[in-house]
Amino acid sequence: MTDVLLELGKNPLARKLVQSAKLPIPMPQRLSRLSGARAERFLEGQSVLVSGAGQLSDVIARTLSRAGATSHLDSAALAQAFAPAAEAYGRPTKLVVADEGAAAAQAQAFVVDATALSGPADLKALYTFLHNYLPRLARSGRVVIVGRPVEEARSALVASARAALDGFTRSLAKELGGKGSTANLVYVSEGAEERTGAVLRFLLSHASAFVTAQPLRVTGLAAWSGEDPWSKPLSNKVALVTGSARGIGEATARVLAAEGAHVVCLDRPDDDEPLSLVAREIGGQPLLCDVLDPNAGALIASELKKLHGGVDIVVHNAGITRDRTLARMPESNWDQVIGINLEAVLRITDTLLNEGTLRDNGRIVSLASISGIAGNTGQTNYAASKAGVIGFTRALATQLAGRGITVNAVAPGFIETRMTAAVPVVVREAGRRLSALGQGGQPEDVGRAIAFFAEPGSAGVTGQVLRVCGGALLGA
Amino acid sequence: MANRRAVIVGGMRTPFAKAFTELMELDTIALGAAATSALLRKLDLPAKEIDAVVWSGVVLPPLSVNIGREIVLDLGLPTSIDGMTVTRACASGLQAITSGVSAIERGDADVVIAGGSDSTSNAPITFPTKVTRTLAPLALSGKATPQDVLGALAQLMPLSEILPRQPRVAERTTGEVMGESAERMAQRNEISRHAQDELALRSHQRAARAIATGIFDDEVAKIETPAGFVHVDSLVRADTSLEKLAKLKPVFAKGGTITAGNATALTDGAAAVVLMSEDKARALGYTPLAAFRSWSYIAVDPADQLLIGPAIAVPRALEKAGLELSQVDVVDMHEAFAAQVLSVLKMLGSAAFARERLGRERAVGEIDPEKMNIYGGSIAIGHPFAATGARIVTTLANELHRSQKQTALLGICAAGGLGAAAVLERV
Repeated sequence: MTDVLLELGKNPLARKLVQSAKLPIPMPQRLSRLSGARAERFLEGQSVLVSGAGQLSDVIARTLSRAGATSHLDSAALAQAFAPAAEAYGRPTKLVVADEGAAAAQAQAFVVDATALSGPADLKALYTFLHNYLPRLARSGRVVIVGRPVEEARSALVASARAALDGFTRSLAKELGGKGSTANLVYVSEGAEERTGAVLRFLLSHASAFVTAQPLRVTGLAAWSGEDPWSKPLSNKVALVTGSARGIGEATARVLAAEGAHVVCLDRPDDDEPLSLVAREIGGQPLLCDVLDPNAGALIASELKKLHGGVDIVVHNAGITRDRTLARMPESNWDQVIGINLEAVLRITDTLLNEGTLRDNGRIVSLASISGIAGNTGQTNYAASKAGVIGFTRALATQLAGRGITVNAVAPGFIETRMTAAVPVVVREAGRRLSALGQGGQPEDVGRAIAFFAEPGSAGVTGQVLRVCGGALLGA
Repeated sequence: MANRRAVIVGGMRTPFAKAFTELMELDTIALGAAATSALLRKLDLPAKEIDAVVWSGVVLPPLSVNIGREIVLDLGLPTSIDGMTVTRACASGLQAITSGVSAIERGDADVVIAGGSDSTSNAPITFPTKVTRTLAPLALSGKATPQDVLGALAQLMPLSEILPRQPRVAERTTGEVMGESAERMAQRNEISRHAQDELALRSHQRAARAIATGIFDDEVAKIETPAGFVHVDSLVRADTSLEKLAKLKPVFAKGGTITAGNATALTDGAAAVVLMSEDKARALGYTPLAAFRSWSYIAVDPADQLLIGPAIAVPRALEKAGLELSQVDVVDMHEAFAAQVLSVLKMLGSAAFARERLGRERAVGEIDPEKMNIYGGSIAIGHPFAATGARIVTTLANELHRSQKQTALLGICAAGGLGAAAVLERV
């Protein structure tokens, strides 16, 4: 379903008119998105403003320099920390100057290392830096703030400063949404610094176009070999995507394939035709199977073993809605939704683990939903199933960490799919506009988040639920 | 046991001349033939002993791409001598030589002439595809009348669309001219104009001294052209100075650092070496000069730092040779641009580069300027693309033999993001 306002907003004249006339019409900014695989130097020739000489300087310096960015730093101490990476990748840094005026380079991103916060007074530096320079942020720009986890704080003073970053980032995200820009927060556990690279690449690139106002945690929980390829990170990986005949599943299969994975596309036998088409286009394989079938797990496990000796990435995407208010909900609606969205996920995962199909350092990514977090009228069944997926994700993450397997979930907000196109227009408009970015996301946006979780380098992220919601107000 | 190690028995080249000057009348085949015949004369090598000519070129003559074979035929050598031609941008010359070494060491040949030539003066000018598609069918039909051709030309108006394209040393994928790539490298690696001019000056001074003291007499032959004899490299400026170099205008960017003085000029020339199995060399009574201990060809993303390749190829070649950079006695680093050489040297000396890009704990090392390009480099001597490999190998082999040094290292950057390096040892 076309988003009329987004289309209108692409016309500069219309945009100006609406804004100068102060019409009460939101003008969402068209988001920049990746096409195909993410480039190794995804920030080539772009400027990034960096503040805060904290414990993440080294990782930030290496990430930005290798990605091709010119880093503008706010202190000489930071320049010193950046020097080795700047030299290795031939990306000399600059010191950011307050009064450059119009000559100032537009910045594609801001990175603030707030890991050294010792109390609320230190937050002032965050205010000053962003207050001074934020006007330089480009459209579809990125703000990434890095801090230490609140739980690891040794005093209430430190804990309060760390927690403050969360409220700060969420508010900033709302302010930046109109420009199509995002703000996100990364909490990095002590000792997990090296695992932050892949997270920074995701949040700084256009892969995270529809992710904003989100905190991500980087921990040392899951075992990791240090493997962290930058380009085509999913090369030599076998991925299973359930429900990939269309919508988010199809988009995910395409993104995973673009990033190098061999994708086994699973959907119901009824969807043979669209599924086979997708599989053929991405050089993958179709696997026809109804996930409700009690033998689905065994069938999938044996096919994956036969074809590829196992699987590295499992994406539980297949899901349905059967909305009715609880009093009117027929039993079949309940059974189908819980059966497909939750029980099948558990059953198939169990089999893949018991049969040894999922290899070490594997990745499990499931589809949760904003509904599972916020609740929604008419969706007691759906929200229960999706909240259940979140519980499954958190529990399994701990169990499988020793094998280097991460378990995560993505919670899409309003995504432009066949499912949301069928929603009544008023609800649809509300879904689109009640968010920081003021528009719906694309299925591909969810696929990009899943591809990030699937990367070898994302080992620091497990047991988490990432909202891909454009900063939706619901449940936030 | 038979000693199949390939050895360098001798090398020879034409003088190198700026494009469209003294050597203009000789195309790349004629230049190759001139260098080869001078080499055969110098070594008094009986033609019947030669198994193959492995040649190389970058700007290949469109109607006879296999220069190696044409040289055999043009020189009236036994028609049984095999001829082939390889191309690997500016690493072509080294590629021809290492191909020859490989052939000898796996027993395919005993005596190989390997070298390369390029004549920028005779680079084919290409017409836009539209012209080719309109005129080629007429030309190929063999029956077209002048009227037909004029009629076809009328379809090609306006004229501006069909003018021949200026040949540019530009990357096919990025469209970037090589000088622009080098200019970006100068900025990214913070190489100053002054440092570049100093390197260029040293190159000229050392080349001039080598010429004056007769170092090159053993390896540069006088060449006959329709306009007379050419005796000496014509790009070398004995009288240049930092002041003169500093006055030159940047060519590739406003406020840039790369000038005609600190970059190589388009050059015509050819160079060749004779390779033999060690046994064969001794059986024929030759004194082997040097042998290859290792080599490495690598590639980087041409859109990043196009000419940084040697910073990766050099440590690879050293590792294969089991050597540290500090153990090398003499180095020849191809000077495409002073900025590029200085970028490579800076990265070789960088611990951060070693960690991030090479997976090594320590920097590869510094190269003592007193050991590097001791008789000048490509900036002063010139760079007929494919001839540079055999020029460098010859100079190094002679130096190892003459000065009784043990090991030599060479590094070459090339279009497409290619890099090459090799380690030679005295025999």
